[in-house]
Amino acid sequence: MSCASVPGGGLRHPLRCRKPWDEECEEEAVCVIMCASVKYNIRGPALIPRMKTKHRIYYITLFSIVLLGLIATGMFQFWPHSIESSNDWNVEKRSVRDVPVVRLPADSPIPERGDLSCRMHTCFDVYRCGFNPKNKIKVYIYALKKYVDDFGVSVSNTISREYNELLMAISDSDYYTDDINRACLFVPSIDVLNQNTLRIKETAQALAQLSRWDRGSNHLLFNMLPGGPPDYNTALDVPRDRALLAGGGFSTWTYRQGYDVSIPVYSPLSAEVDLPEKGPGPRQYFLLSSQVGLHPEYREDLEALQVKHGESVLVLDKCTNLSEGVLSVRKRCHKHQVFDYPQVLQEATFCVVLRGARLGQAVLSDVLQAGCVPVVIADSYILPFSEVLDWKRASVVVPEEKMSDVYSILQSIPQRQIEEMQRQARWFWEAYFQSIKAIALATLQIINDRIYPYAAISYEEWNDPPVVKWGSVSNPLFLPLIPPQSQGFTAIVLTYDRVESLFRVITEVSKVPSLSKLLVVWNNQNKNPPEDSLWPKIRVPLKVVRTAENKLSNRFFPYDEIETEAVLAIDDDIIMLTSDELQFGYEVWREFPDRLVGYPGRLHLWDHEMNKWKYESEWTNEVSMVLTGAAFYHKYFNYLYTYKMPGDIKNWVDAHMNCEDIAMNFLVANVTGKAVIKVTPRKKFKCPECTAIDGLSLDQTHMVERSECINKFASVFGTMPLKVVEHRADPVLYKDDFPEKLKSFPNIGSL
Amino acid sequence: MQSWRRRKSLWLALSASWLLLVLLGGFSLLRLALPPRPQPGASQGWPRWLDAELLQSFSQPRELPEDTASPPQAPHGGSCNWEACFDTSKCRGDGLKVFVYPAVGPISETHRRILASIEGSRFHTFSPAGACLLLLLSLDAQTGECSSMPLQWNRGRNHLVLRLYPAACPRTFQLGQAMVAEASPTVDSFRPGFDVALPFLPEAHPLRGGAPGQLRQHSPQPGVALLALEEERGGWRTADTGSSACPWDGRCEQDPGPGQTQHQETLPNATFCLISGHRPEAASRFLQALQVLAALQEMSPARVLALRQQTQFLWDAYFSSVEKVIHTTLEVIQDRIFGTSAHPSLLWNSPPGALLALSTFSTSPQDFPFYHLQQGSRPEGRFSALIWVAPPGQPPLKLIQAVAGSQHCAQILVLWSNERPLPSRWPETAVPLTVIDGHRKVSDRFYPYSTIRTDAILSLDARSSLSTSEVDFAFLVWQSFPERMVGFLTLSHFWDEAHGGWGYTAERTNEFSMVLTTAAFYHRYYHTLFTHSLPKALRTLADEAPTCVDVLMNFIVAAVTKLPPIKVPYGKQRQEAAPLAPGGPGPRSKPQAPAPDCINQLAAAFGHMPLLSSCLRLDPVLFKDPVSVQRKKYRSLEKP
Repeated sequence: MSCASVPGGGLRHPLRCRKPWDEECEEEAVCVIMCASVKYNIRGPALIPRMKTKHRIYYITLFSIVLLGLIATGMFQFWPHSIESSNDWNVEKRSVRDVPVVRLPADSPIPERGDLSCRMHTCFDVYRCGFNPKNKIKVYIYALKKYVDDFGVSVSNTISREYNELLMAISDSDYYTDDINRACLFVPSIDVLNQNTLRIKETAQALAQLSRWDRGSNHLLFNMLPGGPPDYNTALDVPRDRALLAGGGFSTWTYRQGYDVSIPVYSPLSAEVDLPEKGPGPRQYFLLSSQVGLHPEYREDLEALQVKHGESVLVLDKCTNLSEGVLSVRKRCHKHQVFDYPQVLQEATFCVVLRGARLGQAVLSDVLQAGCVPVVIADSYILPFSEVLDWKRASVVVPEEKMSDVYSILQSIPQRQIEEMQRQARWFWEAYFQSIKAIALATLQIINDRIYPYAAISYEEWNDPPVVKWGSVSNPLFLPLIPPQSQGFTAIVLTYDRVESLFRVITEVSKVPSLSKLLVVWNNQNKNPPEDSLWPKIRVPLKVVRTAENKLSNRFFPYDEIETEAVLAIDDDIIMLTSDELQFGYEVWREFPDRLVGYPGRLHLWDHEMNKWKYESEWTNEVSMVLTGAAFYHKYFNYLYTYKMPGDIKNWVDAHMNCEDIAMNFLVANVTGKAVIKVTPRKKFKCPECTAIDGLSLDQTHMVERSECINKFASVFGTMPLKVVEHRADPVLYKDDFPEKLKSFPNIGSL
Repeated sequence: MQSWRRRKSLWLALSASWLLLVLLGGFSLLRLALPPRPQPGASQGWPRWLDAELLQSFSQPRELPEDTASPPQAPHGGSCNWEACFDTSKCRGDGLKVFVYPAVGPISETHRRILASIEGSRFHTFSPAGACLLLLLSLDAQTGECSSMPLQWNRGRNHLVLRLYPAACPRTFQLGQAMVAEASPTVDSFRPGFDVALPFLPEAHPLRGGAPGQLRQHSPQPGVALLALEEERGGWRTADTGSSACPWDGRCEQDPGPGQTQHQETLPNATFCLISGHRPEAASRFLQALQVLAALQEMSPARVLALRQQTQFLWDAYFSSVEKVIHTTLEVIQDRIFGTSAHPSLLWNSPPGALLALSTFSTSPQDFPFYHLQQGSRPEGRFSALIWVAPPGQPPLKLIQAVAGSQHCAQILVLWSNERPLPSRWPETAVPLTVIDGHRKVSDRFYPYSTIRTDAILSLDARSSLSTSEVDFAFLVWQSFPERMVGFLTLSHFWDEAHGGWGYTAERTNEFSMVLTTAAFYHRYYHTLFTHSLPKALRTLADEAPTCVDVLMNFIVAAVTKLPPIKVPYGKQRQEAAPLAPGGPGPRSKPQAPAPDCINQLAAAFGHMPLLSSCLRLDPVLFKDPVSVQRKKYRSLEKP
């Protein structure tokens, strides 16, 4: 049995033969059923031949009919009911033209104009959202209606394709609720995306008669094209009282900071054109302008730039002489040269986004999609989602009066920063611009973050592109802080039944000056720990914790008894470390509190023949792990090991009774991105890896098992987090020609 | 008889089967016949319209050209924003230059400290004409005097009004286009992106330095109260994790009772503190606090840990002294002027903070030594050796050969700081060798020469002596700690009771806090800090007392990293023969502690003692281990 090959150290107690036994039992059970059926088979046929032939046929037919019927019914019962379970039965399929019509009397109430002083704490009732464990707001969507005035003339187009998509995206999201009483945010189905298509007064009246309108508080309106001729207001002109506005094209004058949400103007080209991401590298044009409806003054300025800087600046306009059938939206021209739009944007490093009559321009989305860095020239424009997105990383904002200096401003940006901006621009488009759904969900997330600020998405999550999120490490102990020596450390000894050796370890460790508490984790459920009177008398508190199960992970549990930050994990057979070595180890940990600081070091190597990782315990010049049979580390890593270990590693370690130290090395290196610190010279550790039995073959099995652990963990982590270094820490004067008695840690490397 | 009985049992079985069939089948038929009603609880969702394909887009392409019809017009509003009210053209060239209106009459201590901190900054200028920002310290409530409109007011354009006490004086003049920096501005008058919100500065706030954060432990200790609530008269009440029975939307009718709360006069030892913007009315506030408590308990330990550390970082980087608050204000305004070359968010929000990570050095975080982990980048694999040749000055041929022998060496720069003429011949090396003619000033050694192309600098004195393996090993160590100095010889500082001041020594001790820059690896960013961030007076101090420059460099790096430097092994024999101590040409000049005043002057200028001690040395893994020399990679380090 495999149990025999488990190294018989004190900790790795044999407890593994459960599984084979279970398998055997299963086989037996199967056998019983089979034997039983055989018995019936023998009886059955004997019954029928004795009857008369006529009756027999009759009976057999009847019997088979009944049997067939039974089988058919059974199958029907358990067959997946495809018709019933499909969504179409639950979600109505209707025509937009069939929606109920609501007549708005001419004198029905109109909401107040938008209240500019609104803030979340004055105009929004957060108590509606309640405190809920998921920290998610609940959003209700009013049913679609068609509004007409007294003369039966419709107030607006019922719904646009984009607004339909938007409401569908909300309805499919986690935010949605169809229970109006539980909702904390209400979205009218009255489409106000484009102000030009609606009648302002009547639309306002339609809003006011919504069942939960209540001056518009907790209502959210989406608008992308605000204002109208001649002065083009930068926010929707429909009176809306306290309603939140998610608007494209806000200016600093109309945007209510922390209340409204600035959203992009959706570009339909996002869905129509597939522009694969273009890698970094030189692009043909330095600066490009592709907008067609530019004001003549701006066009003059741009053309002046083109004259001054020649080929590197390209100013495009709409094409005047296109043949019939060519989509003019998808073409741009410079003199007689015709370019494909938006493909041409990928040929430029910077792309101008100028305001027209409106501040928000759909071209911004096209420019981002092409990975071209937008140069936003639109004074006072609130960039989309600027509450959470860091536009400095993806765009250049130039004041309108500096337009003539644009070229020199852009030239001062280092190449590396440009490449980061290009990557960032593309990422913003992918995450927040490319579909109506992305725009809708980002808007709701921003509002959600305001209501549950303690559960809000971080700056990094909003802004870091996936490639940075993957490669970067955010060290949980990032504050450079040297913990005070007075805090001391807690020693944790995991033990099973080697009492004598345990007592020796306790006595040795208790001599270390900075020890502040000793915790014995008693991992043997079959035996009680020795009586109080038998334990060694030491100067610090000694506490015994009994565990419910003999698991290796018990060593890394964040016990409440640990009151210091520093933890010394030590096996119950490590008696060869001197007090000087342990005290020095603690001092080293204080300088590197976010690392594993340990004594025996180990290395992982890539085995080119086998194409996998290999565990190495020889005398090497490098080190990438320390054994936790004797190591200092921060208590926080116990919390991480117990509750945040990725995949099934923790169970795997407990099942195999091995490699908990390798798992800890992986965990710490992965979360901090830093290497271990090995302290003091190598010494002969008796059974450093707990292979108490001498003999080469067992040693080899052990090495194979440890190598397997490394490969397993690397696959779970999806990367090899361990860092290799060539240094270890010694006392400053170690082996120096200096009087021993003047050294702080003379007793190092002895024994 | 038997056959009948058999038949009977058969019939019985048959009828039983029929019954079963009817029952099961009946149910199924019933289910088919009556289509299920949507259950009331099930979500209905937004309908899938049959004619969704026919819906029109919200914007028709034809609509767009109407944009041209209207002339572009900047939207107008009642107040200022950055583009409209600040003239950045005045800031070209030198960047942000600040002129402060001199104080009229007697001034308060805080007022004096603010003036001192501006005058000590690199932004300060004495000429109002050359300044791009004019700063007016306004309305000092302490003296009761209200300032009158200054001469260069110009409707407040490019002015910053620094208000220490909210509206203590009636307004004597219109603020106009001036920016306002004040504590606790109201949401109605504050102009985001234009005004600056300040922390409240207490009378006793130190001018510079400032006490470090009080967090001595990364993670909260078990048993510490979770929440403390600010009360009237400056007291605190605390609640522990047990007292959070109130649901969010319910009303907590019960008084928490004295058992669960404690009243404290001093700042409590709690994980969270609830600070109310309004005047706290103890009882009802406490009930709200309990609701907050419920939310806080949801927070993961990882988040609590991160928040605790961030409070300490923010305090230490931007709040702990008057100087930091004022310099932060100016840095914020400078970032607005710089636009694209402003500090990226990461530089503001992670250690060491934007005041110590200059955006004039770079805007890419990976160019700095501090952010490699967050960026997923690695320090470069090569270094530049910068050899300083001071008088009397011989070309350091042996040293050049040893350094050029390192596989990591990218280039060698010789800084000729010497009366003698430049030698015409230099040794042939595998790497490019550049000679720079210096001005014979010690501070030249730390100038950010554009010829330095690598992140790592190996700073050397011509009299230093190093072996290739020593250089190789030290460089590998530096790559693990790119923000620290990695050196061979050390100094340590101590508090001298007898003189009541700091002192330092080069004697070998069990601890050290500085490494000599005559043989040390460090990041080239520290040259930029030394030259562009340090007050000029300190650079002059270094020029006048050359031995002080080592201390100064160590001060800078320690103040930025809050960590001690790193020592690596150094050949013992040579150490005895030719000490690397600067300015000591003699063969056995006792490692001197000259100009003990240097360290005290620096400590005063920094406002605190930034140096930290270390008790370890990083050796090769097999250093002096009882194992075959053949196995050792750095065996020459062990030669006696």
